[in-house]
Amino acid sequence: MESNELKLQEILKARGITDEQLKEVQEQDIPAAAESFQRIMDIYYLLKVTADMESAYWYNRVWWENDGDLLEVRRAKAVAASLAHSTPTILPYEKLVMNKTKHLRGAFPFPWVCASFFNSLAESLMEEAEAPAENEADSVSVVGAGGGNVTESYGEIISIAKKFGMRKEDIPVLVKVSKYWDGISVEDISTKYAKTLPGYEQFQNVMDSVLVMFDSFAIPQGREVMNYYMPLQYGFDGILELCDEKIAETMGEAGGDGILGMSRGYYYAAMKEIVKGLSQWCENYARKAEDLASREPDEAYKKNYLEIAQVMHNIAHKRPSTFREALQLTLCMHLGVVNEDPQSGQSIGRLGQVLQPFYEKDIADGTTTEEEVVELLELYRIKITCIECFASAGVSGGVLSGNTFNNLSLGGQNHDGLSAVTPLEYLIIEAGMRAQTPQPTLSILYDEKLPEDFLMKAAACTKLGMGYPAWMNNQVGMNFMLRQYGPEGMDLYDARAWCLGGCLESAPGCFLPLEYNGKVTMIPGGASPTCGTGIHFTGLPKVLELVLTNGVDKRTGKRVFPPHNKKLETFDELLDQWKEYLDISNRVVNKVNNIQMDVWRKYNMPAVNSLLKPDCFKKGQHIGNCGARYNACINFESCGTITFINSLASLKKNVYDTKKYTLEEMTDAMLHNFGFRTAYDTGVFSPDYRESTDDAQKYAAIFADCINAPKYGNADPYADQLLRDYHMYLMHYLPTLESFFGKPEYLCQISVSTHGPQGFITLATADGRLAGTTYSDGSVSAAPGTDKNGVYALFESATVYDHSQNQNAQMNLKLHPSSVQGVQGTRKLLELVRTYMRKGGFHVQFNVVSSDTLKEAQKTPDQYRDLMVRVAGFTQYWCEIGKPIQDEVIYRTEYEEV
Amino acid sequence: MQTVVLSAASITKPHGVKPMDARGHIFDIQSFSVHDGPGCRTTVFMTGCPLQCRWCANPESWIYGKHLMFAQASCKWDKGCDVCLSVCPTGAITMEPGQPPQVDWNKCKDCHDFPCTSICPNRALKQCVREYTSDELLQILRRDFSSWGSNGGVTFSGGDPITQHDFLIEVLKGCQKLGIHTAIETSAHFPREKFLDVMQYIDFAFIDVKNMDSEAHKAGTGVGNELILDNIRALKQSGWKGRLVLRQPVICGYNDSEENAKKLISFMKENDLFEINLLKFHRLGQTKWEQLGKTYDYATGGEMTDEAMTALQSLYLDAGIACYIGHHTSF
Repeated sequence: MESNELKLQEILKARGITDEQLKEVQEQDIPAAAESFQRIMDIYYLLKVTADMESAYWYNRVWWENDGDLLEVRRAKAVAASLAHSTPTILPYEKLVMNKTKHLRGAFPFPWVCASFFNSLAESLMEEAEAPAENEADSVSVVGAGGGNVTESYGEIISIAKKFGMRKEDIPVLVKVSKYWDGISVEDISTKYAKTLPGYEQFQNVMDSVLVMFDSFAIPQGREVMNYYMPLQYGFDGILELCDEKIAETMGEAGGDGILGMSRGYYYAAMKEIVKGLSQWCENYARKAEDLASREPDEAYKKNYLEIAQVMHNIAHKRPSTFREALQLTLCMHLGVVNEDPQSGQSIGRLGQVLQPFYEKDIADGTTTEEEVVELLELYRIKITCIECFASAGVSGGVLSGNTFNNLSLGGQNHDGLSAVTPLEYLIIEAGMRAQTPQPTLSILYDEKLPEDFLMKAAACTKLGMGYPAWMNNQVGMNFMLRQYGPEGMDLYDARAWCLGGCLESAPGCFLPLEYNGKVTMIPGGASPTCGTGIHFTGLPKVLELVLTNGVDKRTGKRVFPPHNKKLETFDELLDQWKEYLDISNRVVNKVNNIQMDVWRKYNMPAVNSLLKPDCFKKGQHIGNCGARYNACINFESCGTITFINSLASLKKNVYDTKKYTLEEMTDAMLHNFGFRTAYDTGVFSPDYRESTDDAQKYAAIFADCINAPKYGNADPYADQLLRDYHMYLMHYLPTLESFFGKPEYLCQISVSTHGPQGFITLATADGRLAGTTYSDGSVSAAPGTDKNGVYALFESATVYDHSQNQNAQMNLKLHPSSVQGVQGTRKLLELVRTYMRKGGFHVQFNVVSSDTLKEAQKTPDQYRDLMVRVAGFTQYWCEIGKPIQDEVIYRTEYEEV
Repeated sequence: MQTVVLSAASITKPHGVKPMDARGHIFDIQSFSVHDGPGCRTTVFMTGCPLQCRWCANPESWIYGKHLMFAQASCKWDKGCDVCLSVCPTGAITMEPGQPPQVDWNKCKDCHDFPCTSICPNRALKQCVREYTSDELLQILRRDFSSWGSNGGVTFSGGDPITQHDFLIEVLKGCQKLGIHTAIETSAHFPREKFLDVMQYIDFAFIDVKNMDSEAHKAGTGVGNELILDNIRALKQSGWKGRLVLRQPVICGYNDSEENAKKLISFMKENDLFEINLLKFHRLGQTKWEQLGKTYDYATGGEMTDEAMTALQSLYLDAGIACYIGHHTSF
């Protein structure tokens, strides 16, 4: 083989085929991951997701010990205590240390946020009896049964939320701690006031029908970008000094603000508490490492422990002085933030640009090598993959598919408007190729200014099939930033600092001057609270269904909306009614979520994150008090966009244009599932499974006309125009909703995994989708199997509107591995990405895997423990996602050629 | 799977018949096509072919006009679906209890609008072939133009696109005007003028040479190889500036001998051809034969090993010919 390759190249060279093309014939092998990575992953694969009560116990204890103290200080003390009392665990081979809890894949409950879940379970947990009736959203969510999920109790382990295992001896602690919060958790207090709303019954109807499936308090932080500037610039001891200076300056002074001015002094007092807690947490790891070293006979292990001890001791006090210390410190801050609230989507941001100054110095000084850095970055991947989110099954399975979306962005533009790509970012991709783990997922902020070799490296990584990096359009992102945050004063410089917070939430940022190695580097970081709470996951097709059924959910027989009693004689009338129902839902859900988030920010304000986020420290205000620079971040989140658009297209065509059927006939056919058995009966949720009933013949013609109605994704203006109109409408409508921060809302469209459960509750739709089956994924992916004119036509359809009108647009593509083989395959993949970006597409991501492989993996999951797929905006182990989503991924159109 | 058998000849137009209408008959347009020439491409699959290779991967191209394909694997007859029966105007579709539907292809060929394909909810019954005017096709190519990148373009495949000579020329002229890179996959089995007429608009060509022995060529494809080899010679002598890559599907027991390779090497040397792309035999087209109610001769046999492919490659390389296997090419 080798010799043939060389001969071929010689012949081509003699014929004047250029060097450039010659390179295309060969592709380099990917080196194996470091031994340390492999050893730890061997352990990881065996780990179950574990919840314990250590952190929760200390939080609860210190909170009540400080009863009566000012809330922000009391809160900071409680968070600090939960960190400072977390038992350090260090595995052999680890170079980066720290976990959320004493367990590698650990998490803990937050009863002060949501207690009812645990209190309702208390008795049954204590009695080891069966779980009580679950709420609606939980019962329609299916958590993947394989991998690390503990879906059922076994032995000494109790399953909680169908995902976490908790040891039996921790259960009494859980029950006792939860009791303290009965009636006063964020959930309870906000529910108490929400119930005073005149429309509260309407809210309950909407939530019970799972038309909207998410409470903001469930994950009140996340979908935002970390900012590591403060500790990197000042170190913990430096921040403590700064706090003292600020206290001297502001305590007792209103500073011209009669409402919030006085709280500045208390903010700095709280920040001192949290910094002391973080410092102690690091110091505990240093001592643990020293202890292990003192008892370790093997010199190599001993040296490793001593290095850890030194790093942890240094960062417990000083600003970092090496790349390794800087990376460890950012990890510490990340874990600190994800430990202060149940959250997902707390994103790393543009780490390769933040840490470049440290990397550059170490390499120049000769104190480290590229290989050593890659190893650290590989180990970093394990640390981020181990971040678990403790939430109910409805959230962790139905919404998140078990991933916590700690997104790492690369590329984009720097402060000066030039390519922001750094040498360190090449190594981050390299580590992602060698060390294949679901997290952190990587996102390329694609800009025409980025170097081609960087893009090629990123494309080479994408095609390995882990689903990362995904590709986002930097210019579109910047335009959205200026559109949404311009009124708050965002300029072009800050617009350049944006990146992904969560799987696909564009989040605002800013650049700050890091002094290191004798120079100043403008490093990017997040500058807003969560960009992912608000009115979340509204099933657009379900709203349309309720229009057709005059407001009654025929699945449950319950009324969701007041009857409209209209004949809906024109298409516009139909659409207007949809808008009206959507608005009824939005108005009340928005109010309830505003109350939830307001109660959260009053009692449960971020502590660690309020230290980090600019301009909290400058203003002396925590995140809840609008301390962050940008606050117009709360939004409305849609689900099932294309199913909805295709349904509209079918109704428009069959009822209003050709008038082939009346609306009643169409509705009747849908209510009868077009004459097929429902997925509720058969248990098969695959979109292409159809089993006839005796009615099949009766609905055959109408079903065929629905299936054959124009579909989005084929460059057919009939359907695409509806998508454009929809976007125009929402762009103008959503800002009429006001968030608890007093800012206008906007459209977010990442269904995450909710197209599974929300599809479940939706009867057959006019596009021919059957009852209970999954909605189309993403916001601009075609409904599975309906894009028949190829991927270029799909791109044409997707870009019928300006993607910078809203926060995101999601495109999932599945490619057969053979279509991107070799280096020229990489180039062709990049060409495909570039095509979409040039058209103004915001995001595209790929599953490079064959459907056959996925079907096989569904049958024999044990043999595919390390297979990863891209779901919505994230990568997850195949065996850890629920079956409805697995079916959807399999059924996506596969772009390949034979 | 049960196969509905009917002689292929009865539903295929005789070779060489080229209807003279202005519309192109196209059975697929594939975008992000990455193995049919340089870069990313859109490949247009046109019906009609002067050859009828026994291993053909696109047998639907043999039928010039609109026709039916039936994918029994997608049919949900076992889930109680039988909606096609009542709409079939020719009575070609029948169903026995406990059995999947059967298509009487002889009856079916008299159908014009295939109502069964628009009522089938499972896309088991599909209409194959759509008619396009050259403007309609050019509109699609213009749309895709921005998606190919710097070295991509359009590839005309089939079938053999030269079968629809007049339509093809019209489209090629349009491509030339727009500056679109053009590639073709052809058998070159056409009268010389017609062949050269098309090739003057082509930037990149694959020409298949299935077998150097004319008798064997005829046995495998229905025609001898003389015209093909003559046309290749003529093309080289015509001063054509495009890039020519020969292609050969390598089928065990048919054309995988060293002798066959050596003959082809001499032919290439004589004509200063230096690139060939060997394609390992595959059965990806098999289900299509079944969907057309035809018997596939290569349901078994024909497989090549990787070692044998490499050995063949060595023969070409040692003779100074750039020989690519499968997708592993320099374009």
